[in-house]
Amino acid sequence: MAVEFKKIEGDSIQYFALIIVLAAVTALGFYAYILEHKYALSGLSNRVPWGIVNAGIPYFIGLSAGSLIVSALSGVFNIKKYKVFSRIAAYMAAAWIIAAILSIALDIGKLYHFMNAVRYFNPTSIFSWNAFLYSSYFVICSIYLLVQFEDMERATRFMACLAVFWAVLVHSGTGAIYSFIYAKELYHSALTPPMFIVCAITSGLGLLLATLYYTFRFTNRELDPQLIRGLALIFAGLMMVLGYFLAVEGLEKGYIPALHEAVHFVFLTPNSGVFWSFWLLVIFGIVIPTLIILYPKTGYDPRLVSMAGIMHAALVFAERFYLIVPGQVFPEEYLHGYKIESLHTLEGYLVSYTPTITEWLQVIGLIAMVYLLFAVGVKIFALIPERAAEEVEE
Amino acid sequence: MMSRRKFLLLTGAAAAGAFLTPQISARTHFVESPEDVKAKRRWGMAVDVEKCTECMEELIAKTGNPEVKPPCVVACDKENNVPEFEDKRIDPQWMRIAKMVIDKPVNPREFYIPLLCNHCEHPPCVQVCLTMASFKRPDGIVEVDMHRCIGCRYCMIACPYGARSFNFHDPREGLKEVNPNVQMRTEGVVEKCTFCVHRVDEAVAKGEEPVPACVEACKKFGKGALVFGNVKDPESEISKILRENIVVQLRANLGTDPHVFYTKLGGE
Repeated sequence: MAVEFKKIEGDSIQYFALIIVLAAVTALGFYAYILEHKYALSGLSNRVPWGIVNAGIPYFIGLSAGSLIVSALSGVFNIKKYKVFSRIAAYMAAAWIIAAILSIALDIGKLYHFMNAVRYFNPTSIFSWNAFLYSSYFVICSIYLLVQFEDMERATRFMACLAVFWAVLVHSGTGAIYSFIYAKELYHSALTPPMFIVCAITSGLGLLLATLYYTFRFTNRELDPQLIRGLALIFAGLMMVLGYFLAVEGLEKGYIPALHEAVHFVFLTPNSGVFWSFWLLVIFGIVIPTLIILYPKTGYDPRLVSMAGIMHAALVFAERFYLIVPGQVFPEEYLHGYKIESLHTLEGYLVSYTPTITEWLQVIGLIAMVYLLFAVGVKIFALIPERAAEEVEE
Repeated sequence: MMSRRKFLLLTGAAAAGAFLTPQISARTHFVESPEDVKAKRRWGMAVDVEKCTECMEELIAKTGNPEVKPPCVVACDKENNVPEFEDKRIDPQWMRIAKMVIDKPVNPREFYIPLLCNHCEHPPCVQVCLTMASFKRPDGIVEVDMHRCIGCRYCMIACPYGARSFNFHDPREGLKEVNPNVQMRTEGVVEKCTFCVHRVDEAVAKGEEPVPACVEACKKFGKGALVFGNVKDPESEISKILRENIVVQLRANLGTDPHVFYTKLGGE
């Protein structure tokens, strides 16, 4: 074996401090869930029933799928130099899918009916298909990781191919949950599933770059900047593809006279969170990170590259907000040509949705949980290599 | 620890799926076969917008309250244990009245129309429901099985008519009195208009014409703007209305084929 994977020592005070902080934030997230459901503290309403905890589902699945696709790069395309990342990325993929499934569990109203989602299957419901896809995806991730631990070369390659296929399926399915909804014009788009795949790879890769860089730094291991550079270029290229997708979709919606008002509200009304989620994503999530990587003076510095990765991955959450919220906030026309305003509900009105602190804590808690799993994982499993370099000795 | 949880979840699901589903699934038992019912009955509602507007105008003038609840809405709330909460954002409402106005500057007249579940022929909510908790009966009524609903609210996203409400609170907190004939929902599930399915079933069993609470109240205290009936029966009042009027379905372009029909828009 050319690449040596090794567990970390994990006995420093800093390590235990990190574990305690992450565990505390995770616990806080779950406590926020209990409080929220006891006292109805969310910012949700009958007009905006899906908020940021729901946005966590596609976000975490995206990070998972992206991470897994990166992990499988070496397996599927037989790129030996990326093999150093394959374990850590597969492990992260499994951790993120747990966060995604927990995000569903936190989001639904009746937690003790949760098993019904597994027991009953509705073939016309995309979410129902996804309930099956998510659980099978976790199993595939785990087996993929296991065959890597056992150094089973052929099985690893097979599982890598299967895992990538499944990740694409899972994440397209997640995109379809939203984009196949024909009742909301701002949701309905065939571009969303492919955009989800691109977005998954960029956000997964961005976060992975940062995770790799900091893990290697704190464990004093050697990380070849050339290796980071290669991944960073893929990252930048796909961010531009994502920007292209967003532009095409926005322009297409803006072309329809019926949607002029809605499009104006989404893209050009600065007093709503929707406006900011979109433009912050474009500026700080796509343009600046891409420039950081492409500009030669900054693009080779792994610190700045990880910063670009974190910026992008964080703002992809804004992309999820932009995907989920505007379609609900902006009223639908029940009878075309007429303005219909309900006397007893908020139908027909622009409804605001501001995520409350308990909702934020749940999302942050799940992110902390993933990093807790990661921090514990690198100690008990041999996930990261001794050294990661561009050239791999055969 | 998580993988064990997941493992238990999966094996538990497989076992439960294999052994329990046929035994505990909440199945509706019909006296007649579903095919028979489908051939004989399809419930629908017709709304006379002119009469509805007249009633609302009078009521608003009398009470001075532009958000007054007309008899139909009050009756619906009472009959179906629809709770009353201060906060409009989270207050469940099965039936509501909406002001309808054409978006033109020339002295637009305001019309009033009731909004309720459209009991679509191709209901998007049933299409998307994860657990088949939302289902369509052979007679066209779309219902929610409270015991199966996981509260994911996908149906609320999919419904083109905003007909569904989520129980952010336990509905009992917002009720002064309870009608024992209608099942009580709990916190965390989705609910909506059922066309007063309990009344429909009772009437059908007795061989009578079913009358939902809103229609009854509209006849008694309102202007008789609402008509409920079987669109498969050519002799029914609703069939007559559908034959003799230009009717409008909300968002008909989606192909959901809603079964609440609006007539006399603009008062011909």
